[in-house]
Amino acid sequence: MAGYGDVKLLRDDGLRLDGRKLDEMRPVTIEAGILPAADGSAMVTQGLNVAVAAVYGPMEAHPRKIQRQDRAVIDVRYNMAPFSTSDRIRPGFNRRSREISKVTAEALESVVLVERYPRSKIRVEIEILAAEAGTRCAGLTAAAVALADAGIPMRDLLVGVASGKVEDIVVLDLDKAEDNYGQADLPVGILPNTGEVAFLQMDGDLSPDEFNLAMEYNFKAAAEIHVIMVDALKRRYEGGEK
Amino acid sequence: MVELVPALLRQELARLAEDNIRLDGRGQWEGREVDLEINCLYNAEGSAKVVMGKTIVYAGVKFELRTPWPDRPAQGSLMCSAELRPVAHRKYEPGPPSPESIELGRVVDRGIRESGCIDMESLCIVPGEKVWGVMIDIHVLSDGGNIFDACGLAAIAALRTAIVPAERFDVGEDYTLKVKGAPIMASFTRVGGRYVYDPSEEEELGGDERIHITLGDNGHLHSLQKGLRGVFTPAEFAEIFGVAHQRCTELRKLVALQEGN
Repeated sequence: MAGYGDVKLLRDDGLRLDGRKLDEMRPVTIEAGILPAADGSAMVTQGLNVAVAAVYGPMEAHPRKIQRQDRAVIDVRYNMAPFSTSDRIRPGFNRRSREISKVTAEALESVVLVERYPRSKIRVEIEILAAEAGTRCAGLTAAAVALADAGIPMRDLLVGVASGKVEDIVVLDLDKAEDNYGQADLPVGILPNTGEVAFLQMDGDLSPDEFNLAMEYNFKAAAEIHVIMVDALKRRYEGGEK
Repeated sequence: MVELVPALLRQELARLAEDNIRLDGRGQWEGREVDLEINCLYNAEGSAKVVMGKTIVYAGVKFELRTPWPDRPAQGSLMCSAELRPVAHRKYEPGPPSPESIELGRVVDRGIRESGCIDMESLCIVPGEKVWGVMIDIHVLSDGGNIFDACGLAAIAALRTAIVPAERFDVGEDYTLKVKGAPIMASFTRVGGRYVYDPSEEEELGGDERIHITLGDNGHLHSLQKGLRGVFTPAEFAEIFGVAHQRCTELRKLVALQEGN
């Protein structure tokens, strides 16, 4: 990540430009079961980000060459809507979305009990409707809730969170300006119950101490988001719907 | 499954059609409840969400500066496209735009373009050099039947809320895009031998050809499209044309109502 040290991202009172504390995440809302055509679905908003996930399956794995005899494969597509950013994005896959799709699939395959569904495929579609930094994490969280909504057994509810560094200070959950002008970004996918990590990316510059603090922030935020995820699923099913 | 289920469904739909009953209990010309939300997407210059039964679509408007077409140096451009991404239904697969999504985008595009609701010359900044390109992107999130009408409604509603981001492009002050009127689409599918308005997912699966009619504020036709295998008579068309007029007028009122809020 390119660092632009001359852009001011912290206020004189030590708070961030949008008034958040260093270890404070943007407000998160989650709703499960929002897409009637899907087997499972969820919408996650985090700050101004809007991520929607749909799950289809398990179904027969096509094309055949992707089939695994001993487990299901998870086919993830992360896609940003053309109108999700300030300049229109040309529709279709690009290198960034391909990479995010791949590592997200691998993270989800680490928590879904894929051995239960040999030779099948679970399709996970992540659509970003509005982007303001941190969409892969919001997408990961949405995917986990959608998988749970689809009734697919998992070891844990994976949570996507990110911390980073601005003006040499570690902060939780970068917003757009912090992402553009900050010095590091550390998005992770956390299993809140086991304390394991299934998704990890990072770019920028972090010292070992800064990394540890960023991870500490991430684990704390993951626990908070996990509560919201569980609540969304409870709201979906406690009413006796579906 | 792909062949068997529709065959059984067709039988059932034909049986119901004898008494002019629909699978979900609606009348022949009765639409599902339409929920329209405008200005619902951050980062889009204009946006709308339409929910009709199990169908959910979003439309977002973006602008870009471009050089005009050589044969129309003083006119901006309009482009409307729809994506049927795999998120919307298990029947949609990833890949380049399918013929279905191209048809959908083009039918919506024609209705808006041909209604003349956008004055293309108002999109000109410097003749021959710099004009606005208006892009309407329609994103189908859940296909529960009749995505054409949902897309058409979302597109025009989004367009009518659009703010031209002139400041961001350094060409003056932001202003509201001028849109005259609201072209609205009404779609019909032949189910069990007769046409119904606003087909559901099951009615499309077990139905035949479809007809899409886009009408302007003055009741004039701006786009027509027949899709899928089947034929119809002029008398049948006359009947659905009358229904289309009523339904379009109602939906236009809904757009105005949302804008008033």
